[in-house]
Amino acid sequence: MAIRELKVCLLGDTGVGKSSIVCRFVQDHFDHNISPTIGASFLTKTVPCGNELHKFLIWDTAGQERFHSLAPMYYRGSAAAVIVYDITKLDSFQTLKKWVKELKEHGPEDIVVAIAGNKNDLGDIREVPMKEAKEFAESIAAIFIETSARNAVNVEELFQKISKQIPPLENPEVESNESFKITRQPTPSTRRCC
Amino acid sequence: MAAEDLPSEFDVVILGTGLAESVVAAAFSRVGQRVLHVDRRSYYAANWASFTFNGLLTWIQENQEGSHPEEAQDWSSLVEEGEELIRLSNSDSTSISNVQVFTYTSEEDEEEEEAPNTTEEETGGAEGDAVKEASETESADSKEEETEEKQEETAEGGGGGEEEQAPSTEGEEPEADQPAPSAAQSQSEPAKKKKISYTKLVKEGRRFNIDLVSKLMYSRGSLVDLLIKSNVSRYAEFKNVTRILTYRNGQVEQVPCSRADVFASRQLSVVEKRKLMRFLTSCVEETEEQRAYNGRPYLEFLRDQQLGDNLQHFLLHSIAMVTEDTPTEEGLASTRNFLRCLGRYGNTPFLFPVYGLGEIPQCFCRMCAVFGGIYCLRHSVTCLLVDKESNRCKAVIDSRGQRITCSHFVMEDSYVGVDRKKVDTPTRFLSRAVLITDSSVLPSDSDQQVSLVTVPPIAAGRPAVRMVELCSSSMTCMPGTYLVHLTCQSVGSAHEDLSPVVNSMFRTPESPDQETRPSVLWCLYFNMADSSGLEVQGHDLPSNVYVCSGPDAALGHDHAVKQAEFIFQKILPEEDFCPPAPNPEDIIYDGDNPSPTATEGEAEEGEGETKEEKEVQEQEEVQEEQSLHPEE
Ligand SMILES: Cc1cc2nc3c(=O)[nH]c(=O)nc-3n(C[C@H](O)[C@H](O)[C@H](O)COP(=O)(O)OP(=O)(O)OC[C@H]3O[C@@H](n4cnc5c(N)ncnc54)[C@H](O)[C@@H]3O)c2cc1C
Ligand SMILES: Nc1nc2c(ncn2[C@@H]2O[C@H](COP(=O)(O)OP(=O)(O)OP(=O)(O)O)[C@@H](O)[C@H]2O)c(=O)[nH]1
Ligand SMILES: [Mg+2]
Repeated sequence: MAIRELKVCLLGDTGVGKSSIVCRFVQDHFDHNISPTIGASFLTKTVPCGNELHKFLIWDTAGQERFHSLAPMYYRGSAAAVIVYDITKLDSFQTLKKWVKELKEHGPEDIVVAIAGNKNDLGDIREVPMKEAKEFAESIAAIFIETSARNAVNVEELFQKISKQIPPLENPEVESNESFKITRQPTPSTRRCC
Repeated sequence: MAAEDLPSEFDVVILGTGLAESVVAAAFSRVGQRVLHVDRRSYYAANWASFTFNGLLTWIQENQEGSHPEEAQDWSSLVEEGEELIRLSNSDSTSISNVQVFTYTSEEDEEEEEAPNTTEEETGGAEGDAVKEASETESADSKEEETEEKQEETAEGGGGGEEEQAPSTEGEEPEADQPAPSAAQSQSEPAKKKKISYTKLVKEGRRFNIDLVSKLMYSRGSLVDLLIKSNVSRYAEFKNVTRILTYRNGQVEQVPCSRADVFASRQLSVVEKRKLMRFLTSCVEETEEQRAYNGRPYLEFLRDQQLGDNLQHFLLHSIAMVTEDTPTEEGLASTRNFLRCLGRYGNTPFLFPVYGLGEIPQCFCRMCAVFGGIYCLRHSVTCLLVDKESNRCKAVIDSRGQRITCSHFVMEDSYVGVDRKKVDTPTRFLSRAVLITDSSVLPSDSDQQVSLVTVPPIAAGRPAVRMVELCSSSMTCMPGTYLVHLTCQSVGSAHEDLSPVVNSMFRTPESPDQETRPSVLWCLYFNMADSSGLEVQGHDLPSNVYVCSGPDAALGHDHAVKQAEFIFQKILPEEDFCPPAPNPEDIIYDGDNPSPTATEGEAEEGEGETKEEKEVQEQEEVQEEQSLHPEE
């Protein structure tokens, strides 16, 4: 099966549970005292989708957004963006619009947008009605889902929905000057010329 | 998302997000130092930045208006006993000068001309920026008039405001200047494709990533090595520079780089091919014969090799990329460096980052942030608090008046007040031009080439010009256009230095008869100070303050990388400089259940295997195939 790498970037206010969602998705693990996002450039997880494998490269914000200083390179080449808010914090929902705008400005044009209302295990102290969030998501043609990283609710589903929305690979144009990554290990040389 | 207060204690505070500062930030953060990295600008990478078209128009406007230094505030209440306060410079008015813009394409698409008013409103701000050149005092009315006039004539574009700087446009008939087909013209020239309008450039502005500096990455240079060593290379993708071209006798020619190129070359005779191969093989190792030329011009050495004009030109201007008076040892070193870098990734020694060079400082900043560094744009440091006794900077005061203690302070040179800067040599400048064109300087089978073009001095006393032509798949310009960067050491202003080259190699209203050349749709000229002569220390500053210089004129990035490493080792001589960051597959969130490194679906997957098609790794064997060394 062909593996397709898909960059997904996470956005949203600090403390809404971005890192917890990634951690749940990638390692099926939840930690109440998760340390602020340190050391993780991006995490990966591969899931099947149709006759392809989607390898998600999930980028977390590394706290840069706290001071409105996310670099444009963070968005480069993203296939999807997940904007997370905390259903128990109205503020975190109100800043969604700001993130959508930021994404419009810096993100790729054809990016798949998903909105995740996290911490839905805390329904009793909910501040953001599901209906309102859903309507907003519809208005910008975004995927909408409420999640709980804590109870492992809808986290897999969030990424499945994204997978489904990723347009199938177009006929890759055979282009002579393709871009590439540069890496540490040289591939073992397969041929040797004399 | 109300702005929080910053923590009040850091190990290192870094002001400015240029390349050297960003590498320093990543290096410190990586080894566990607490880093605060700020920049007063609203964007990353300072004079190394890249902009969308609209972002560049804003940058142009800011630099034409001149800076408005903020009021110096009185922070004396924050000064503790035994401390002295040093104010930092709060305006960067000196590094960019002589900004000039010319719009040569028509304002609107022909069809859209009936409804200019609506479009005009949409693009009003941006359009004003570009047109406003040298006419700041103009009233809104006269500006509108000018715009209308332009639309009628569909000519000149920004030239309307350019009289002072570009007298040559004045006398010419606008009609003659206008290469965009009018109805009549397009009938007579049905094959000619429609020219992209200014409105279209603005509308598609996001597809541009226009660098302020124009450099390339040597495939075995210190920047590529550092990117690979630190794993920062993961954050970016690269393209090969696919061709090296040179401008000679009024023609653009391809410089043969690989063995295959040499043998396929139609410009070179069989004798020349042999001579070139022999020369390149012989110059890999230093010989007695070469040493005899030490101190004498490389050109002299080349001449004595009896290579002929063709080869001499290629070797001097395109391979060594030196001037006629460069000493032989330098010319040879440069030639060897070129040969060493051939074949690692592609056919030429160079790489270019997709989305532009402005990505590179951002990648290092990302690494810093990932290891806990805190980032704050639109935020500055206004003062240093210095312990009088030890002459060390104990703390800084940020632009919000917060006192932040730090053990070391690293800053971009433009924040150092002139009175405190120790300048040995008079400031040099770079002359820069940025063109958006409609075709390549050397059309070929592929329209997606990335080319380095070396342009030797067009006359005695003129500068040698380096040109980089980028295609749209480098994600630096919209499809159907090319982004062309010209750079040289300043002799005069950027326009004086570079417009003769532009007019000889491209079609502009000043060179309307260059019909076979690419047309320039829009262009920008400016000068940038080259502060690379500045020392890291030795200024009238506390002993734990380090100064990073801005971009230099060289093609590669060695200066900034070396400077960053020097600062790091000065402060933390025992620590490793940018050790590799862990692979994403190896990262586990700390917690009570440290699961093995790989999760489902990942276990079997070794590094790089799945990316085989995309990742070009070192190809040692390719080097032998592609380099210029002859077989025997
Ligand atoms: C961008 C560009 C535009 C140009 N445009 C024009 C143009 O429009 N019209 C035009 O006529 N020419 C043009 N030329 C050519 C120009 O006149 C000179 O050929 C060129 O500037 C000097 O050559 P070079 O720098 O390539 O070095 P070289 O060709 O290597 O020569 C450098 C100098 O050394 C001299 N020299 C070379 N070989 C020998 C030798 N074996 N012994 C002694 N002296 C030698 C040359 O005469 C020259 O003065 C152009 C050149 C360039 C690079
Ligand atoms: N109850 C509950 N708590 C959660 C959930 N997800 C995250 N949390 C908690 O919310 C806090 C913040 O979570 P993080 O994942 O660190 O949030 P973040 O968005 O990554 O924050 P920054 O890295 O600072 O931007 C942590 O204490 C988590 O334990 C959830 O689904 N339910
Ligand atoms: Mg986090």
